[in-house]
Amino acid sequence: MSTHGHFAEKFKDILLGRAFHMSLIIFVLLAFLYFSGGTSIILSILIQVAVFSIITMSLNLEAGYTGIPQFGRVAAVIAGAFAVGAIPGRIMAFFMSLPYGAEYASDTVNVKLVPQINAVLAGSWLLSLGFLLMCIVIAGAAGALVGWLISRPAIRLKEAYLGISMLAIGDFLMWVGHNWNIIVGGSVPVYVPDPFRIFGAARFNVIVPAFFLIAIIIFIYLNRLVKSPLGRNFRMLRDNELSASAAGLDIVKVRTQSLVIGACIAAIGGGLYVIYTGSVAAIGMTRLTFTFWPWAYMMLGAIGSNVGVFLGVFLLTILRTMIIIYRSQWFGFLQAAGIDPLWLEYTLLGAVIIIVILFLPYGLVPEKVRPMLPANRVKKVISQKQMQT
Amino acid sequence: MPPWMSSGLIYASGLALTAGSITLLYIATRTFNFAVASMATIGFYTVYTGVALYGGLPYQYFPLALLVGAITGVICYYGLNRPLLRRQAAEITLMMSTLGYDLVLLSLIQMYADFLTNTYKLFPRRVTMSLYDFELFGDRAAAFILPVIAIGILMILHIFLTKTKFGVAMRATIENPVLAGASGINSDRVYLVSWIISGGMAALGGAFMAMAMTGTPVMGMYTIPLMFAGAILGGLGSIYGGILGGFVIGLTEYAGVFLLSQKFGAWVLGYRMGIPLFIMAATLLIFPRGLSGIPLFKILKSLAGGSLGGEKRGVSA
Repeated sequence: MSTHGHFAEKFKDILLGRAFHMSLIIFVLLAFLYFSGGTSIILSILIQVAVFSIITMSLNLEAGYTGIPQFGRVAAVIAGAFAVGAIPGRIMAFFMSLPYGAEYASDTVNVKLVPQINAVLAGSWLLSLGFLLMCIVIAGAAGALVGWLISRPAIRLKEAYLGISMLAIGDFLMWVGHNWNIIVGGSVPVYVPDPFRIFGAARFNVIVPAFFLIAIIIFIYLNRLVKSPLGRNFRMLRDNELSASAAGLDIVKVRTQSLVIGACIAAIGGGLYVIYTGSVAAIGMTRLTFTFWPWAYMMLGAIGSNVGVFLGVFLLTILRTMIIIYRSQWFGFLQAAGIDPLWLEYTLLGAVIIIVILFLPYGLVPEKVRPMLPANRVKKVISQKQMQT
Repeated sequence: MPPWMSSGLIYASGLALTAGSITLLYIATRTFNFAVASMATIGFYTVYTGVALYGGLPYQYFPLALLVGAITGVICYYGLNRPLLRRQAAEITLMMSTLGYDLVLLSLIQMYADFLTNTYKLFPRRVTMSLYDFELFGDRAAAFILPVIAIGILMILHIFLTKTKFGVAMRATIENPVLAGASGINSDRVYLVSWIISGGMAALGGAFMAMAMTGTPVMGMYTIPLMFAGAILGGLGSIYGGILGGFVIGLTEYAGVFLLSQKFGAWVLGYRMGIPLFIMAATLLIFPRGLSGIPLFKILKSLAGGSLGGEKRGVSA
């Protein structure tokens, strides 16, 4: 078989595949939004896609590849968001001999502090880049720590018990942040120093490629991970826990690995999110935004396929944005009755989950089940053997 | 009664009903019902609408709340749960499907709150239902009435499940669906009735809880971890366990917050949710399958003489 024929076949596969059709739809919708709304809408969609595809890919690692009912995705996201809101700014304040203790997070001080830090960051691109990297490292470390802590009690539980416990932990972390003022200001949001301040008005134009670069690095890492022996362990655990343990797999260890890696990545997503918004409001870190939406993205795209996850995030983010933009044009009848059409976002979320479960159980771009050795290669090996004999 | 105790009793009665609702549905259909959150909120808004628009006491609208809750349950069963049960979907899929239903209901509740605000000039986003209550023995009447209603419902359920033919058939289906089907029980109807009962219980539970806390459209969404905590504490094995678990969770929340704030100061109030969750986590760590993992519960069950999942009995209905 020539390599040329092989590539042509692959190309044909891609053209006929669902992933390609979905990309086309996304492209058309984006073009439509661009011509009716302009660049700023496209930029905000792209940033959200980058952040949420990171979070959803981490969810996919735990729920899709390892089979853990991760209903507490928000816990790790919170860890990253709080860490970025609390720690890097304090480090900067320490070196600038500004107050960095408990008073850093108090609303009156924080408002004056962060602009000073921003001014310093805006002066040097090296410092800005270093600050961004520091944020990512701190977020990842905090996420891994929280993931490990959650995995301690969680590994003993099964299915629904596990899901509910993780959901409760996520909610509890949100309330801790909301009440404990010295982390991220409690009920008053804390500002996050902005490593993209140096670009001024073009801030968003730079954030998009930067976040996409991070998302792509994570995408490549995860794709290599799930093909590695560790990733095979994850899938083995998902497909049959009993046979996995019979094959000598340490289930507790594998589950912990999945939870820690997933939490680390989700926390990076949370950290990037607060860098983009510029502030951390604990009460905004709800399970609706950071657990249920990622679940919907993942279920629509495909459980167990990162390409599918990416397309799912893209499609749903566009639909969400369209509801917000066209609420008065499309849903004027609701507004006439005094009802805010923004609630349709919840309806969309619920409806997507229901429709996917009822009619698209494997998502739009299902995970390809690949045998260890493809059939045509098995045939080739057999024919070679026959030729030899 | 000290105020924490009366509020605690009201709240705990509501939580007991919602936890019982979750447990009943889990035993009957293996479905972890997320939609209990919105069903509870719907129950509260039914009662609130009645009181605010037509006057009277909240109690007279409780049957209506039961009815509305039952209807939401029926819709969920026919639209969502039945096709999935026929497909023998996984537990997680069943759970996710009720989450989708819950979010749709939540959006409808939010729209309804907007509608009440704009059409009737009410303030449905922060409601203090206890204002509509009357006084009994120098205390809020709800503190006496609601626990009694909760216990009454528990007794009616018990009689229904042990003394009526359909109740026995229901238990048989729950114990062994295949065998029950072979002996001629219509499992479809059993599932439907469980959805009706659990929907009604959830809505009534929400109406109860609103008598102790501030009623908001996201009331159910914020308290659903506690409802689950109650159900899990009860072990998900018997309705009685679930109801008891919910009651314990609700009462310890109020008692714990009261005692801790006396000792450490008012800042504890912000972490009130942590107390029941801590109890749940501690229970799960010691008994990974909830309180019904304790032999004591089995002893109690056999003493009570035939609860759900209790002794087996030949059934022909």
